[in-house]
Amino acid sequence: MILILLFPFSNFTIQSKENENITGMRFRNLILIAFFLIFYNASAQQNYLVDWNYEGQSFYDFILKAESKFPVKFFFREEWLKGITLSRYENKRYLNEILDTLLNGQGLFHYSDESGNIILTKYFAIKPLIEEKAAGESYIPGLEYEEEDETKGAGGNIVIDLGNPADRDKPGIVTISGYITDQHTREPVAGATVQIPKLSAGDISNSYGFYSLSVPRGSYSMKFSFIGMKEKTVDVNVYGSGELNIEMRSVLIPLKEALITAERNVTLQRFEVGLEKIDVNIFRLLPTAMGESDIMKSVLLLPGVHSVGEGSAGFNVRGGSADQNLILLYGAPVYNSSHFFGFFSAVNPDIIRDVALFKGGIPARYGGRLASVLDITSRDGNRIEFAGNAGISPVTTHFVLEGPIKKDTIFYIIAGRTTYSNWLLGMLQNRALRNSKASFHDINVRLAYDINRNNKIDLSSYYSYDSFQFNGDTTYQYQNNIIALRWRHFFTSRLFTSLTLNNSFYGYNVSSTRVSQEAFKLSHKINSTGLKADFNWYTGRNEFNFGAEMTEYNVRPGDYMPVGDSSLVIPNTIQRQRALEPSLWFEDKYTLTDYLSVNAGIRLTSFLAAGPQTIYLYNKGYEKGPSSVKDTLFYGKNSIYKVYGGPEIRLSVNIKTDTKSSVKLNYNHTKQYLHMLSNTTSISPTDIWKLSDYHLRPQTADQVAAGYYRLLHKNRIEASAEIYYKKIRDMADFKGGTEIIMNEFIEWDLINVEGKAYGIELMLKKTEGRVRYNIGYTYSRVLVRSTSSINEEIINDGKWFPANFDRPHDLILTFNYLFSRRYSFSATYNYSTGRPVTYPVATYTIGDIVIMQYSDRNKYRLPDYSRLDISLKVSGNLKAKKIANPHWIFSVYNVLGRQNVYSVFFRNDKNMVKGYKLSVFGRPIPTVSFNFDF
Amino acid sequence: MNNWVKFILIFLFLLVPASGCIEEFIPDVEETKEMIVVEGLVTDQNRTNKVKISKSLPIGRALARKPVRAAKVTIIDDLGFVTTLKETDPGIYSTDSTSFRGVVGRKYALRIESSGFIYETDYIEMKPVPPIDSLYWEKILITQSDNPAEIEEGCKIYLDTHDPNRKCFYFRWEYEETWEFWLPYQVPNNRCWVTEKSDRIMIKNASIYNQPKVTKFPVTFITNETDRLKVRYSILVKQYSLNADEYKFWEKIQNVSENVGSLYDVIPMAIKGNIRCTNKPSETVLGYFSVSAVTEKRIFIKDWFKGIPNFYWYCPTDTIFGRLPEEGRNVTWWVIEDGSSYRPPYWVTTIHRECADCTTRGTNIKPSFWP
Repeated sequence: MILILLFPFSNFTIQSKENENITGMRFRNLILIAFFLIFYNASAQQNYLVDWNYEGQSFYDFILKAESKFPVKFFFREEWLKGITLSRYENKRYLNEILDTLLNGQGLFHYSDESGNIILTKYFAIKPLIEEKAAGESYIPGLEYEEEDETKGAGGNIVIDLGNPADRDKPGIVTISGYITDQHTREPVAGATVQIPKLSAGDISNSYGFYSLSVPRGSYSMKFSFIGMKEKTVDVNVYGSGELNIEMRSVLIPLKEALITAERNVTLQRFEVGLEKIDVNIFRLLPTAMGESDIMKSVLLLPGVHSVGEGSAGFNVRGGSADQNLILLYGAPVYNSSHFFGFFSAVNPDIIRDVALFKGGIPARYGGRLASVLDITSRDGNRIEFAGNAGISPVTTHFVLEGPIKKDTIFYIIAGRTTYSNWLLGMLQNRALRNSKASFHDINVRLAYDINRNNKIDLSSYYSYDSFQFNGDTTYQYQNNIIALRWRHFFTSRLFTSLTLNNSFYGYNVSSTRVSQEAFKLSHKINSTGLKADFNWYTGRNEFNFGAEMTEYNVRPGDYMPVGDSSLVIPNTIQRQRALEPSLWFEDKYTLTDYLSVNAGIRLTSFLAAGPQTIYLYNKGYEKGPSSVKDTLFYGKNSIYKVYGGPEIRLSVNIKTDTKSSVKLNYNHTKQYLHMLSNTTSISPTDIWKLSDYHLRPQTADQVAAGYYRLLHKNRIEASAEIYYKKIRDMADFKGGTEIIMNEFIEWDLINVEGKAYGIELMLKKTEGRVRYNIGYTYSRVLVRSTSSINEEIINDGKWFPANFDRPHDLILTFNYLFSRRYSFSATYNYSTGRPVTYPVATYTIGDIVIMQYSDRNKYRLPDYSRLDISLKVSGNLKAKKIANPHWIFSVYNVLGRQNVYSVFFRNDKNMVKGYKLSVFGRPIPTVSFNFDF
Repeated sequence: MNNWVKFILIFLFLLVPASGCIEEFIPDVEETKEMIVVEGLVTDQNRTNKVKISKSLPIGRALARKPVRAAKVTIIDDLGFVTTLKETDPGIYSTDSTSFRGVVGRKYALRIESSGFIYETDYIEMKPVPPIDSLYWEKILITQSDNPAEIEEGCKIYLDTHDPNRKCFYFRWEYEETWEFWLPYQVPNNRCWVTEKSDRIMIKNASIYNQPKVTKFPVTFITNETDRLKVRYSILVKQYSLNADEYKFWEKIQNVSENVGSLYDVIPMAIKGNIRCTNKPSETVLGYFSVSAVTEKRIFIKDWFKGIPNFYWYCPTDTIFGRLPEEGRNVTWWVIEDGSSYRPPYWVTTIHRECADCTTRGTNIKPSFWP
């Protein structure tokens, strides 16, 4: 069956046959139009003579008058009528004639049925099937449909006309656009594929569910598809620009209908080189170590993405350090994306609607980070009915509740996770462990309110908390806190804006009260508030995106405070940092010809570092330190002491070489003003965030990338090859053995380094059918070198050396086999070169102190990494209407039991310095998790 | 910082029993070359100054000195006086305490000729050092309990110093602990003294304060895991003045050496000392030539600390009645309690030699400074 939602902002649904699910209609009188359309023949309208003087009358008054005089009823949306007044029409005396004349050029159409209903439509005309066939034959030769019977049947029922049929012979290109929503939850479907196979044209819906295609006039069949949704085909006669809104139906994931392709040749259409979409449903099937499906772990399966080690926080994209990734949740940056130091990701997978990772070709609307943007779009919640999901795994338990407060108007989603590890620890015999604590929890809440068709508001909040303590000693706590308010306003259906106000906070505390004289609390906090206005305007062959953003940062680098009266700790506070980061951007996606399109954007950013601040100036040519201080500058509150900024160019060209392949070229410049200072191999929760200041310059990166994409094997397999070269300037590295926490003069210990990264990413992907696989191989290098000429600021004699996350060979295989409607099997395999490491090469003693002498930085490598995981998902029942829909996931992590080296350490053991290697998951780890939807 | 990793790992192991593991690992390191290590110290004390020259050791080899012999070692001061050091022990070159003594404010450089290589330092000024104002200790509760019998106490030793002349901004300390211990048995050697030297880096940067002042610097923490506090304990703290360069050297060594290798540790790095090979600059020279003024202070601690366990509970292995066999006596077993005057005669014996003879751990010669 087909469900097509017509009209941009109307709610009536055209349906066929048995399904009578008519969604709420808030405008005048309009009921059951679908039935009129299907069962009644058109052109039965009688001619009513308009005998009153309608000149100057508003259209609305005219309608009221007509309804009072004639046995007719009008169906329309009031805002369409605004500003339309009638003038004197010569020789037009009948109602339909007047309507014809009046509506011509207004984008409105009228349609009358036998029973006297007059339906107004905007941007497209309704034509019943019988009439249409006649019109179609006289106009355009019959279409050849290529799809399977199932979709043909659905598509064949109704042919939709877009635009005024009178314009059919006009030359030029017109635009089809509209919104795609989930029939079940009414949430917009982002990332859905819209295709016109005839033209090899396509688009992907944006986060509003909006899509737009520029095509020549003609008759086409349009395909709408999305992973986990039933594919839909609609036949359209395109006479002019118009809107076509589609409702799609989701399917239960492991079922047969899920064998639907998503990307296909739209990959060829996309502009961004290096955009990766993560399939939320597939990632839930992937094997996990702890039974928790994890978005960050899925990111690591993408080509060009690495991490420094198993269970480490953060990821590295194309040679960028972990802090060069912008992770956005509700449009706000997430400063710490992991729980338990990286063993779990901090974002609950239950609330994720879709995840996009931009490795290159970063759109101009994103800024502030060099390497990548991971944009997590959260779900809005079910708009129609209450629903939920709960689950349990070895470490955590989680739930989601969602539903409408007022149907289709106000709806919510609440998701939470918590651990029961404290309870497990409390049961242990070992006293040290029993006195230990480790827990985390997170909560996501979103409340959305559709005020009307043109105004939508949502309020979202995220809170995550981690705490642990070993044997009653030092307690570590950290938390993320995000609150975001968004107002989306639709000026017209093709010009819309989103206004976001958000606040993101991250802070950690380290405290110890075991020895009361030494009781202390150390804290670090970062708080940013952003206001962003983002405009999207789809017009003809152009897609404009422009906007402005202002972010205010507040960083408290460190506060070291006594706890309790008996503590002798001397309070110490590192001076706080404040800054403003205003930006403006403008981007145009311009389709020159069917085979060539260009995406050109510019982002203007600046960074204003504001006082109060005390700045030390140093003699040039000397190592920064107490002995080279030349002068001290004091800046008062709100005075700007340093300004950085400049344009960031984002440019992509997409050349379609034929219907099955395309070439994309891309250049990107990015700047980053906020840095995470980490002198450790992996990012850790006590790394500190630091804003650019007098001494610390913003990091910049230039990336050029080229990609070739090709569809193979009847378009079922997608192959791609991307190469990139990236130059990074002004990264911060550290002198050996530097402490960063509570470091008052961090500039003394920083070393300016530059980096270069290059690589090739090859991928072969099959995303449909019972057997799906993904083969990704990446060869990449990332090298850095110190740029200073001062002896103390030189690493490895100023030569290029591999960065901590340089892992040249990386092979990732994922395999899914949906062998029945209830069972699906997944496996992932990962091989990569071991990460670079600095080993001690010799020992010596000074007095009784044993000292290790290390090799050049990152001269050696850990052994190579290799791991195979498998999982099996079993769905309890296939009845979609069942109250609870349980499913089990059995997975085995590291099936091969390989002892991958997590870290190597050295210690002085009985008068001998020995090396030890540590593997975290040194044998197969089976887990079971249970979930049910209700 | 390291606690995390340990903790997380313990936590994971607990969830997934024995999934993780630690194994000895010898990294495949190509650098087998031995590097020269120079450890020199010139002080203002009326003592012998020593320069020790040895070769570095590869990882995984026992820490034994490999002396470099027959080197020509000289110390040159900024007035041009050259002092030649004599090799008093293999690889240890000493000044004559009667003819050479460091002077505060003077600069010294080291020059070594060995196997055709020349190793040199810049001239290093000897900074003055103030005396240690006070060296004091506090009882620290290790385990708190409502039951007095369960209370355990330890001892923390602190140091205060300041330089009113504002000359010495960087400090380094070393200490030497000596404690008396008794065996709880009537055996010939049951009263001994042990001396241990500090093996940690103790430094402090006082330059960031208006006046160089060090308050309550934690020298050491004595737990109840050893018998240091059982009878009488003494600590001698030596305070060295450092220049900024030497301070930085120790700070880096400290950050890098204190447990390295996990993901959350500081990225290690080769740290250069102040000695270089002048006729082959690419040659790495390890170690440091320190020029420091020294002051020292000693305190004794004799107090009752709660909860110090009996460290000899395991000693008695057998009680023999009647006749004492001679076979293996004082070789594989020892008498720790002689009950031969009782009826029937008995002897408590042990197979642990340290229970019968305290000289296995220390010396039975009372140190000269001991009260």
